[in-house]
Amino acid sequence: MITCPNCAHSNPDGAVNCEACFTPLPIVKSVQCPSCNATVLSDAKFCGHCGFNLSTSKVGSHPLEVNLGSDPHDPSPTVNLSTEVIPVIPISNDMSNSLPDETTESNAAANLAANSPELQIVPNMYEEGLVVAVEPSTTPVSIPANIPASLSAKTQLQQFAASLLHVQTDLTIEIPPHLPVIHIGKPNTLIPPDIDVSGFPDSDIVSRIHADIRAEGGSFYFEDTGSSNGSYINNLPLAVGNRHKLRAGDRISLGKGDKVSFIFQLNS
Amino acid sequence: MSVNLTCKLNDHHLDRHQGSSQRQLAIAVSASSASNSCNAPLNLCLVLDHSGSMGGQPLEMVKRAAQDLVDQMYPQDRVSVIGFDHKAKVVVENQLVERITSIKEKIQSLKASGGTCIDEGIKMGLQETSKGKDGTVSQLFVLTDGENEHGDNERCFQFSRLATEYNMTLHSLGFGDSWNQDVLERIADAGGGAMAYIPSPEAAGAEFQKLLKRVQAISLTNAYLILQLAPHVRLAELKPIAQVAPDTIELSYQTEGDAIIVRLGDLMTDVERVVLVNLYISPASYIASCQDSPEIPILSAQVRYDIPSQGQINTLSPSVAISAELVQELHPQVDPQVQNYVLALAKYRQTQLAEQKLQEGDRSGAATMLQSAAKTALQMGDQNASTILQNNATRLQSGTLLSEADRKKTRIASKTVLQTPNEPNA
Repeated sequence: MITCPNCAHSNPDGAVNCEACFTPLPIVKSVQCPSCNATVLSDAKFCGHCGFNLSTSKVGSHPLEVNLGSDPHDPSPTVNLSTEVIPVIPISNDMSNSLPDETTESNAAANLAANSPELQIVPNMYEEGLVVAVEPSTTPVSIPANIPASLSAKTQLQQFAASLLHVQTDLTIEIPPHLPVIHIGKPNTLIPPDIDVSGFPDSDIVSRIHADIRAEGGSFYFEDTGSSNGSYINNLPLAVGNRHKLRAGDRISLGKGDKVSFIFQLNS
Repeated sequence: MSVNLTCKLNDHHLDRHQGSSQRQLAIAVSASSASNSCNAPLNLCLVLDHSGSMGGQPLEMVKRAAQDLVDQMYPQDRVSVIGFDHKAKVVVENQLVERITSIKEKIQSLKASGGTCIDEGIKMGLQETSKGKDGTVSQLFVLTDGENEHGDNERCFQFSRLATEYNMTLHSLGFGDSWNQDVLERIADAGGGAMAYIPSPEAAGAEFQKLLKRVQAISLTNAYLILQLAPHVRLAELKPIAQVAPDTIELSYQTEGDAIIVRLGDLMTDVERVVLVNLYISPASYIASCQDSPEIPILSAQVRYDIPSQGQINTLSPSVAISAELVQELHPQVDPQVQNYVLALAKYRQTQLAEQKLQEGDRSGAATMLQSAAKTALQMGDQNASTILQNNATRLQSGTLLSEADRKKTRIASKTVLQTPNEPNA
């Protein structure tokens, strides 16, 4: 189904001109996401299902191969584990460009090393200075063997924590870590908000049930849940129901005109 | 006595591996000029609104225009005139164009008063016209200046459709600025005829003459286009068939067995009616059944028509088949003429969508659609339409309402390719 950019009529595949208004439709073919095999459009940058970065997968596939080939055995990075429990922030910043995480075995690991508790992958990244993840075939095989050796008392699952920095007042709001869904809005009887913005200036532009942030497998997804004035990510409108995967530094604006805005930040 | 039938695809190359490809097919039909020498006589009926709002100069100019029309007709033609306000009456009975003076006197006797009931006028017009419809080209010109206050619009459309079943064509003329362009467009579309806009009384004469010239070129009537699609070809779901030249009209179709029948109506000599068909072709499924063929058949087209001058009905033209070429790698090569037709349809559809949005109250959406319609008009070289549409878009965006005259002009601009006006900025 190809949606016409002009009149929003859904056309069957293979259409070159919109059936309703005859504007030329962008010709996009469907390709498969290398990470999760879902069908995505060829001009998409990120896979809508797993967040795989499609643009670097095309660019970085070569260096990926090469580096893995020359990758020293996994034991060596894991030895460094104790010393490099990891400044998550620098890595997450690098990581924020990409991350094809493809462990088909463990979906948890697949969702983003930026916040990923899988230490094994992280040091590899750090080691190689590479921003792309490791091939699935290598990591699961070697890592489990190394886990007993590497896991010391110090290693713990990293608590991913994130916060929202309110731009207009420079206040930081912590995103409660234990909640799967965090509702953003103003006091109401239907879905009381976990983050209540009614105290901020210009909050009348924000709906009572405006948006929510979900935490799944180490990543945060922002979704507008039917607000009157809409939500914007980095000043681009986010349609209702579309979940946007948040990266550090994303600007979330509630309502038009950038009156109530937050910067999504990851803590260490 | 015969038709010219040509078919052209917008891109006659098809990628052999693709599951489903969309193509537009332009089918041009006209009567061949050989038959011009003995055209059937015209049977013209003027259905004129003489409601109170037409008082003074408007009605006088319309009467003058009607009288001039009678002067241009031939002795073997027939004419009748109906005057309507909230009731209809026969002003000139259906007769040969012989006693011209008496006909003109009767037209002159029309006086302006009363309300407006268009369906009564059309009904009486149909009755009067059918008295002379054998062996003639029957046409009705319905002129009104206002809304159908005392009448029922649905009845108007029904009468219009009924007329086509009796092989009579209805054209609608909107006089001034107070008429409803949606109603008149539907009357013209249902009646298989054209819609004209008379912005001021002085323009009445010219518009009548233009329409007369058009109907005088008709030599074949009751034409139907019969299409047989190949098995791996299907029509698009939404409004697949539309006429794009000389006016843009959305066409409905019927299926008889595995043939698709589209009513075309009258065929003029050497003025083509072009129908655009939106198709989906699946080369992959065709190859599965008969591989290694370099060509893939798309459809065959035929026209069924009447020849009034010879009293013949249901003549079939020879069938024309069209096929496309299968290639390994598709390099799009669009035929410019078909592309122009596609743009004409796009211009109409986009303007209609803008009208819809305006009626729903979405002004910004309507302005956006009008802008894309203006761009489309520019792409096809229709400068006048582009200017009108762009002006409307700008006015909408700045918050002003569109005047009634603007909306009529927009409707005409979307439906036809405007001729360059003789005076600057009519």
